Amino acid sequence: MADTMELRDIEVWDGNMAASHALRQVQVDVVAAYPITPSTPIVENYAGFTANGYVDGEFVMTESEHGAMSCCIGAAAAGGRVATATSSQGFALMVETLYSASGMRLPIVLNVVNRAIGAPLNVNGDHSDMYMGRDSGWIQLDSYCPQNAYDLNFIAFKVSEDHDVRLPAMVHQDGFMTSHTAQGVHTLPDDVAYKFVGEYKPMNDMLDLDHPVTHGVQTEEDWHFEHKARQQHALMTAVIPKIEAAFDEFEKLTGRRYNIVESYNMDDAEVAVVCMGTSVETAREVAEEMRAQHGIKAGVVGIRVFRPWPLEQIAAALKDVKAIGALDRSSPHGTVGALFNEISGSLFNTDTKTVLTNYIYGLGGRDLTKAHLVSIFTDLKANADAGKVTTPLQQYIGLRGPKLSFF
Amino acid sequence: MEKKGWDGFEIGAMLRTFDGAVSDIATTLPENRPYSQSSSFTASVADWRIEKPLFNKDYCIDCQFCWVYCPDMSIISRDKKMIGIDFDHCKGCGICVQVCPTNPKSLLMFPEQKDEESALAEWPKKEKKDQAEEPKED
Amino acid sequence: MSEMKKIKNLKDFSTSADRFEGANLLCPGCAHSIIVREVLNATNDDLILAASTGCLEVCTAVYPYTSWDASWIHIGFENGSSAVAGAEAMYKALKTKGRLKQPDRVPKFVAFGGDGATYDIGFQWISGCFERGHNMMYVCLDNEVYANTGGQRSSSTPIGASATTTPAGRVSYGEKRNKKDMMAIMAAHGAPYVAQVAPNKWKDMVAKIQKGFAAEGPVYINAMSACTTEWKFAPEDTISISDLATDSLVFPLYEIIDGTKLNITYRPKNIVPVRDYLGAQGRFKHLFTKQYDYLIDEWQTRVDAKWDYLQRREEASV
Repeated sequence: MADTMELRDIEVWDGNMAASHALRQVQVDVVAAYPITPSTPIVENYAGFTANGYVDGEFVMTESEHGAMSCCIGAAAAGGRVATATSSQGFALMVETLYSASGMRLPIVLNVVNRAIGAPLNVNGDHSDMYMGRDSGWIQLDSYCPQNAYDLNFIAFKVSEDHDVRLPAMVHQDGFMTSHTAQGVHTLPDDVAYKFVGEYKPMNDMLDLDHPVTHGVQTEEDWHFEHKARQQHALMTAVIPKIEAAFDEFEKLTGRRYNIVESYNMDDAEVAVVCMGTSVETAREVAEEMRAQHGIKAGVVGIRVFRPWPLEQIAAALKDVKAIGALDRSSPHGTVGALFNEISGSLFNTDTKTVLTNYIYGLGGRDLTKAHLVSIFTDLKANADAGKVTTPLQQYIGLRGPKLSFF
Repeated sequence: MEKKGWDGFEIGAMLRTFDGAVSDIATTLPENRPYSQSSSFTASVADWRIEKPLFNKDYCIDCQFCWVYCPDMSIISRDKKMIGIDFDHCKGCGICVQVCPTNPKSLLMFPEQKDEESALAEWPKKEKKDQAEEPKED
Repeated sequence: MSEMKKIKNLKDFSTSADRFEGANLLCPGCAHSIIVREVLNATNDDLILAASTGCLEVCTAVYPYTSWDASWIHIGFENGSSAVAGAEAMYKALKTKGRLKQPDRVPKFVAFGGDGATYDIGFQWISGCFERGHNMMYVCLDNEVYANTGGQRSSSTPIGASATTTPAGRVSYGEKRNKKDMMAIMAAHGAPYVAQVAPNKWKDMVAKIQKGFAAEGPVYINAMSACTTEWKFAPEDTISISDLATDSLVFPLYEIIDGTKLNITYRPKNIVPVRDYLGAQGRFKHLFTKQYDYLIDEWQTRVDAKWDYLQRREEASV
């Protein structure tokens, strides 16, 4: 039996430490992992917990991220709680197996500490890896700060392992800006945290020796479409209600409220930015200042659940704004940013008449400053007043050299 | 198997070999197993064959070479005796005939349509020059 | 640990109840199936199985059918080893935590992969599993070619074989490189047991599989799998070709214990010329020409040298 750890009500943790403690507290049965910056400390911290008797599950340090997720899949199919962590290039190496995990309907929690993907090589935070995972069939939850990274792990296990869901889940946090920035994190006692997630309930487990099971079959043109449709049906219909229920229960337990779509100052907002990760917190602060200092009714929509994409909730959150800026922290390589696309798709068939523009920012860990956000909100106000796009559709911000924009 | 719609099967394309629980499958013979419709045991590859092996028990010495080298679990042995061929699963490769050490062979290939009675009636006689070798196991 | 299954002779063995089913889609005469049967029937213990993408996998789990009577998993081409290692880790975790559903039963963990999945694309994953010491058996079904995808060369394809990506042609005799020595590589991991087996020598195979199951830690089995389709011989000749392979010493049967001690387990009474082995297969047909006949002599020299090396290793007990 693993030892419990006495925690203070508020610990000063960075996002990595917060995630490590969440993994320890839910008593993961198998963690198979491979270290990569900036997610390495999650694995190191967990190794430390294991070395000091706070973990009685198996901790497998594999030879690669692909091997790590492969072990996670084998372990999850065997029948128990499974988690790992990665970033960037390691995430990219895992991608093949991400599709296997979701297609085989195996609950695995993957902490993704977001980082740019080379070339050129870069260890800092952007959302390239998160975006790379968006078609992989996983649930993707997004943290804005270490507290979120802690809390959302509990939500991820609870939803992912639910027998109506049985889909793997990623908990994202921004590399360095969240993962290595210590803040006060409200903690749960070990037993309370474990009880919230609950005991792992096996399903189709290989280790049930009386019920042999075959996992990972081949389905060709006469079956594949139906299986992928079934997977999509679960992701589209079961997940959001389960996350909402988990958020409600979590609020009762902790007083901390999470929403599928996080809206700040949106009730009367005329202009809004939509963004993810640490940028949400910066944008909230600037939105307040735009209201106080410039008289611009600015709001912020933060994406909490990136997959499944909460199309209706996004449409509802943005239905009354006159101008929207979609902020994408990933090079879109040949088109508009992913958030721009998603928001367009969410609003296109609605009655909302709004002007949508796209900002590419923060690649490779470049700071998003308050000044950048002031200029974005100012752009959006001009668009709102004009009732049309007054700037290029896609603008790069925080970039040296001549102004870069497209469309 | 019925081609079910997208909502009609187990999640993750998971298959179960048996209906219900099995506790000691390694010592349970096929005839006593609760195979589900998902087990390939319930399917047939008989139409793969052009030729089929037929068995003449008069010459069989129950050496079990055919059993061990059959790639398709199609030599039926019970209580250490060869008792027949599973024609649902035999693909007609002919290995059993090749490895049969008796003289004449106890297994021979015949056209798929050949009936057993006439095959047995025309079974070749023992070849004089080659004594049936006592099979050695290695 | 459960009691080892007693298999004194073939009659004993024939009382086994196969846990691998017919109406799979393997070619008629496929040696993979014979090997799988000999491996699985070597024990009555519960089994947790994995397969890497390849002939065995695509022919035995095509929806809506499975040919497996024990739990089985496939993820991809390279990671059958890691899949079973993950399951083994979960077994250990649930054992520690007292959550096994059948705590008195100790399953064996076995991964199967072809030579493509083993020598090539899955090499790193296997090495990782062996270095970490998972209690598992990895069985390579070595047919020296990517048979599932139609006969491309792998790093197990021997010199002179014509494969679709190293075809014999007017100015080429086919594959130019020597087969990778996986046995030596896996032994170098310090694995407790590494063995080369062939399905035609069933007794040798079963003894080795049982030794492997009894060992604690990762076990590597290199199983020669004569491929009727890609080696180009008639399906009924699978066992006779295998006999030529073992009796010509192209596939010597031996084991390496604890990474060092080497034992030869089969010494043919009559060693047949390598030429006879090569001549029985279409993939080497082009060697039997004036232009390339020297390669057959070189083959013989290599096989002789390897046999000499194995005998000296055995004698020196190192």
